[in-house]
Amino acid sequence: MSRLDVVKRRLRAQAEHHLRVAAMEELRGRHPAGTKKAYQEPGALFWRGVFVPLYRRVPWTVKQRAMHALRMTAESSGWTPPARRPGEPWRPPAR
Amino acid sequence: MSERLIVIGGGGAGTAAATIAKRLDPSLHVSVFTEFEDIAYSPCGIPFVHGREIPKFEDLFLSTVDRYIADGLDMRMETVVTEIDLDRRIVTARNQHEGFDQLVICTGFTWEKPSVPGANLEGLHYVKNIRKAMEFDKLLDQVKRVAVVGASPLGVEMAGNLGHRGLEVDFIDEGPWVLSEVLDPDVAEPVHESLQERGVTLRLGTKVEGFVGDDHVRAVATSEGEVPCDIVIVCLEKQPNTALAREAGLDVGTTGGLIVDDHMRTKVPGVYAAGDVIEVPHGLTMLPIRGLTGSHAYAQGRTAAANIAGEDRVYDPVWIPWGLVGGDYTIGGFSIGETLATSIGVPYVLAKGVGVSRARYFPGATKTHVKLLADPQTHKLIGGQLHGGEGIKERCDFLAFAAKRGATLEDLAWMENIYSPPIGALFEPIAIAAQNALAELRQKDRSPEPATASSSGSDGAGAQRTPVTT
Repeated sequence: MSRLDVVKRRLRAQAEHHLRVAAMEELRGRHPAGTKKAYQEPGALFWRGVFVPLYRRVPWTVKQRAMHALRMTAESSGWTPPARRPGEPWRPPAR
Repeated sequence: MSERLIVIGGGGAGTAAATIAKRLDPSLHVSVFTEFEDIAYSPCGIPFVHGREIPKFEDLFLSTVDRYIADGLDMRMETVVTEIDLDRRIVTARNQHEGFDQLVICTGFTWEKPSVPGANLEGLHYVKNIRKAMEFDKLLDQVKRVAVVGASPLGVEMAGNLGHRGLEVDFIDEGPWVLSEVLDPDVAEPVHESLQERGVTLRLGTKVEGFVGDDHVRAVATSEGEVPCDIVIVCLEKQPNTALAREAGLDVGTTGGLIVDDHMRTKVPGVYAAGDVIEVPHGLTMLPIRGLTGSHAYAQGRTAAANIAGEDRVYDPVWIPWGLVGGDYTIGGFSIGETLATSIGVPYVLAKGVGVSRARYFPGATKTHVKLLADPQTHKLIGGQLHGGEGIKERCDFLAFAAKRGATLEDLAWMENIYSPPIGALFEPIAIAAQNALAELRQKDRSPEPATASSSGSDGAGAQRTPVTT
């Protein structure tokens, strides 16, 4: 695994972790019964203070386009999203 | 001379790839290499034998090695493949080279080990191999207090089953509720209650800082203090076994799983991979994910086999129907819930409803709680979570399929359903949820206030309607 691959993997894991913890805290506010505040390591100020608020301000459609442009989605490794139109059975992509 | 197919791994993906390739193309010479003594058993059943809901481990075996041999497979049991040479197209096992024309890598996963002091003490157990589970079960007769670390699906099943067995169980996890990476807190609540009724002590929001003991563990050191125990069961994350494939030069993606295309092909012609070792895209986001279920592994193995046998079989991006029993309660879902939707920033409207699993007067009827997430603009299904008793699994399977085909709240509100008092009520809980959401959305459209249907997380169901049952 190249160093770039390791960095990409760590970045994804960190981003997902901090977004998830922030989401859990928001959901916990709506459904507090039986829950407890998630454990959080001290620090990670960039992720919590900068990345999470910025990510949340960007509309989903823009995020989708960005992920696609950055080749984060599986289209770059030979996958095709199935059409989701009711009544039209999905067919394998033409090769 | 017939082509030779080598399959590395004897789990769900490996056995599917080997047996189906042989069935589709009997001329293939198929060899299966597995490090274990056994094949074709259900590791997912192990927690239920520990919990004494299943009488014995032997019940978990689905077939025998002899049966596979009789079907024409060359079975290499307890044989570890130590190297793959993709240029020379050989694998090395027991210092012998074996040539292949086609290869399927199904090396599965190992459980994440805690990287804290004391993680090498005796008394820490990982649930995977059935022979080890048989030995471990005898040990469970000699202990009183068990710490289960990690509120993963396996952790929930182990905690509930060991409570059922009468052991004192401390269930430790950093998350705010069990299964917090996928489950929503409203769906987790009845699971908490059911686990506690089984004698499980929940220690949520609690970090494991180490394991305490001389040779053998006697306590778990946590952010909330020490938790005494006789043994620990570690149920953290599944980590894909990619070392062999990586050393051979195959690529790993951002999840740590091997990269394959929609035919289960790696970048090297004639070399496939399937099961817990690979990553596949989520149907909604197309982002790669991994760590799915045994049924996904089996289907991926089938896909590889069909393509090896000359078919043109595509594996679709996944919508992940899932379900499990937490304590005495069944939970399930598909795609994403509110927590994940909020986390990745997908806008959604909610559809909530409560129905019953059979006619309400029929003995054994249980409530079925349905929560669906739909796209605010198109009303297409994007996820959901359910909880209750019977029928959760089938509904999650159906909903994942419906979402994959682009079904909308309108489709579900007018869906047909079976009414037969012993097996189904007049009003289908899924339809009730969809009808509630559409009624609420219509009301919001009529109100002078701006409609909130397109805002993230707006509750299309609003106040819960009285469940309509029959």
